[in-house]
Amino acid sequence: MEVTVTQENLSFALNNTSRIASSKAGLPILSNILLRTDSSRLLIAATNLEVASSHRIGAKVIKPGSITIPAKLLSDFIQNLPKEQITLKVANNKLHISAKNSSSTINGIADDEFPELPVIDDKKAISYNLSSDDFKHSVSQTVIAASSDSTRPILTGVYWHSFEKNLYLAATDGYRLTERRIVATKSDVEAVIPTSTLQEVLRTLRDDINEIEVLFDETQVTFRLAEVEITSRLIDGNFPDYRQLIPSSTESSFTVSRSELMRIIKIAGLFARESGGGITLNLDVDASRLTVHSIASEVGENSSEIEVKAKGQSGSVSLNSRYLTDALNAVTSDEVSFGFSGKLAPCVLEESIKDPNYKHIIMPLKS
Amino acid sequence: MGHSLWQSVLGEIEVSVSHATYMTWFKNTELLETTDESVTIAVPNIFAQRQFEVKFNDQIKEILEKNGVKPTTISYVVKTNKNKPVTSRETTRTETKAADRLVAPLPKKQTATNGLNPRYTFANFIVGSSNDLAYSACQAVAKNPGTKYNPLFLYGGVGLGKTHLIQAVGNEITAKSPETAVLYISSETFVNDFLESIRFKKKGFADKYRNIDVLIVDDMQFIAGKEKTQEEFFHTFNALHQANKQIIISSDKPPRNIPTLTERLRSRFEWGMSIDIQMPDFETRCAILEAKAAASSAEIDRSTVEYLANNVKTNIRELEGALNQLLAYSEMRGIPADISTAEGLIGNVRRSRPQHLSSRQIIDKTARHFQLTTAEICSSKRDKHIVTPRQIAMYLLRSELHLSFPKIAAELGRKDHTTAIHSVEKIEKAIKLDFMIREQVAELREKLYA
Repeated sequence: MEVTVTQENLSFALNNTSRIASSKAGLPILSNILLRTDSSRLLIAATNLEVASSHRIGAKVIKPGSITIPAKLLSDFIQNLPKEQITLKVANNKLHISAKNSSSTINGIADDEFPELPVIDDKKAISYNLSSDDFKHSVSQTVIAASSDSTRPILTGVYWHSFEKNLYLAATDGYRLTERRIVATKSDVEAVIPTSTLQEVLRTLRDDINEIEVLFDETQVTFRLAEVEITSRLIDGNFPDYRQLIPSSTESSFTVSRSELMRIIKIAGLFARESGGGITLNLDVDASRLTVHSIASEVGENSSEIEVKAKGQSGSVSLNSRYLTDALNAVTSDEVSFGFSGKLAPCVLEESIKDPNYKHIIMPLKS
Repeated sequence: MGHSLWQSVLGEIEVSVSHATYMTWFKNTELLETTDESVTIAVPNIFAQRQFEVKFNDQIKEILEKNGVKPTTISYVVKTNKNKPVTSRETTRTETKAADRLVAPLPKKQTATNGLNPRYTFANFIVGSSNDLAYSACQAVAKNPGTKYNPLFLYGGVGLGKTHLIQAVGNEITAKSPETAVLYISSETFVNDFLESIRFKKKGFADKYRNIDVLIVDDMQFIAGKEKTQEEFFHTFNALHQANKQIIISSDKPPRNIPTLTERLRSRFEWGMSIDIQMPDFETRCAILEAKAAASSAEIDRSTVEYLANNVKTNIRELEGALNQLLAYSEMRGIPADISTAEGLIGNVRRSRPQHLSSRQIIDKTARHFQLTTAEICSSKRDKHIVTPRQIAMYLLRSELHLSFPKIAAELGRKDHTTAIHSVEKIEKAIKLDFMIREQVAELREKLYA
């Protein structure tokens, strides 16, 4: 194999793929990156047998061929080369890299042992074209609620599914739940995508990519971002029927500026570290006032007030301040509405607009 | 048939590929279906599916043909549990756990974090001659933590009140000055925390144990043989001791008798005060029973108390068990909790033990405990290593079976009963003065009633 590529392209591809190459897996070759010529491109790929990431970059192919190289070393090395042209040459399972004023040789392994990269059948798969902004928002709004508890694998992913002619994303860890509506759909989709895969896609997403193609079949999902392809297995199992957990209405609710609410929740959070983040919201409907209170026996206490547009009954509820700040960070609108029903029922945070497409449910703290 | 066919395919592949390859790709595969034309194989994920289709297909086909199966196509499908009806009990459990409901996250309670059980206090600890030294030492520590006896090391058999006492110290200190950071843990918790900090590279292990004022560690003997943990505990111990923080430790053995305890830890444990807790005497047992009965507001007469105290001699936990059983029984049956009911029940409590201990058993077990033969102990030899065990055997015959002195002498092949009187008196005295003798007798007693 002999190819010439630019440092920038190669470095970007290696940076993304080396994250996936893992030294923990049973097969030693999985800590290597595959380099293979593909007509007039160079394919750069890595996999950990959960997810595979492959990049195709423009290359001047002098002689076709392939090799696999230890991921970390190659990526760190290429990262530190000047932004010039790089020539890669393979001979005797060694990769010779020559760049301006520098040349080196790295021992590699032939690619026979490297796992075959899964391919999705475009004709059989259900596909969606999403704008990258939409994708970025929806995914980051939902993944925050996904669980990290590996004893319940099904909750460690985000549930992509069709419901009433729309595609929805949902995630929950049992304490909070997020749901986001993305696009209209005619097909039936039901897939739980691992959180790590979605985060990988988010990291790989560059500003110059405007559209993402998402393809599903029964057992896998592929994200296409221009010349990058990320394919992942799906999490096996049935996602809980979460819709019944979303309260259809709440007894008390208020609407307020998002940044104002965020500010006083953050202040209250400072006094809530000791009590596991517990802060108390007190809504006085008659006075249109929300009071946020928190106490730390060793530090002191805090109580802040803001004016709100209140509806329903007065009442109070205790929440984990971190969950609430996470939720407020996820919402994008200037105004938010927050509803609750007593001290024990789930609380709902939504954008205060007509037909909001994002819901964030938080369970109160038992106090 | 499908199963054994696939097993033979796997067997052949296992020897032809590397172990890592085999484990990565062939584990969790199975043969789903064989017909004349096609074979379907289930694989765990899409990566395996692709790998089989491209790389292993020819090899598998070849082996199948060798085994007499000649399919025209082999297909590989990814196994899923999706939409399968829930069958086994295990899946039911995980399904309901991953459940269709949200739960409220539990707020962390400040009081729960120090690990103390508020039930254990000095006020409800019954003091007797067997534990008054330990009791006073604990009270002194509770009054001035970190100054008087540091470390305080309590040891004694199971169910004698070690945990009660050391927790009482913690509770007393928290009650007096709530800002003092008290931490009560079992040595197992320490080991687990330590392992976790290594395994998951968790931070905060040192913070948790070194930023406290009173560290109480229960059941220290479980740290034996865990070298790395002992080293970590050694550093924790030093850090706390340097800063004049109180350390309280309990164990079932004195430091020097814990096997595989490193020398530097042993010497540190022996540095402060080590006290043993003995089985309470008859009067203390009566007092404990009366206090417990009063706590559960039950009335129980003196003779019944004495009867229970007389018949349960091993440890306080069993004593309480016997009392609880009596009270429960009388309540359920609506009969008075008197001595006759107790007599009926005590058989149940002690059924696991020989109804009547024989003098032969005592002599045999004593001999075995000291690695002697019964003949040796009954002989007339006057070697030191035989004399003391012989005297202990006599003491036990007297204290456990209340045999007469002439009878005791006869059992051990002595003619003169004054030898027996002398021996029993000597051991009685030695028990008060010599720790080793006390320990041996206690161990033997435990063996007799085991």
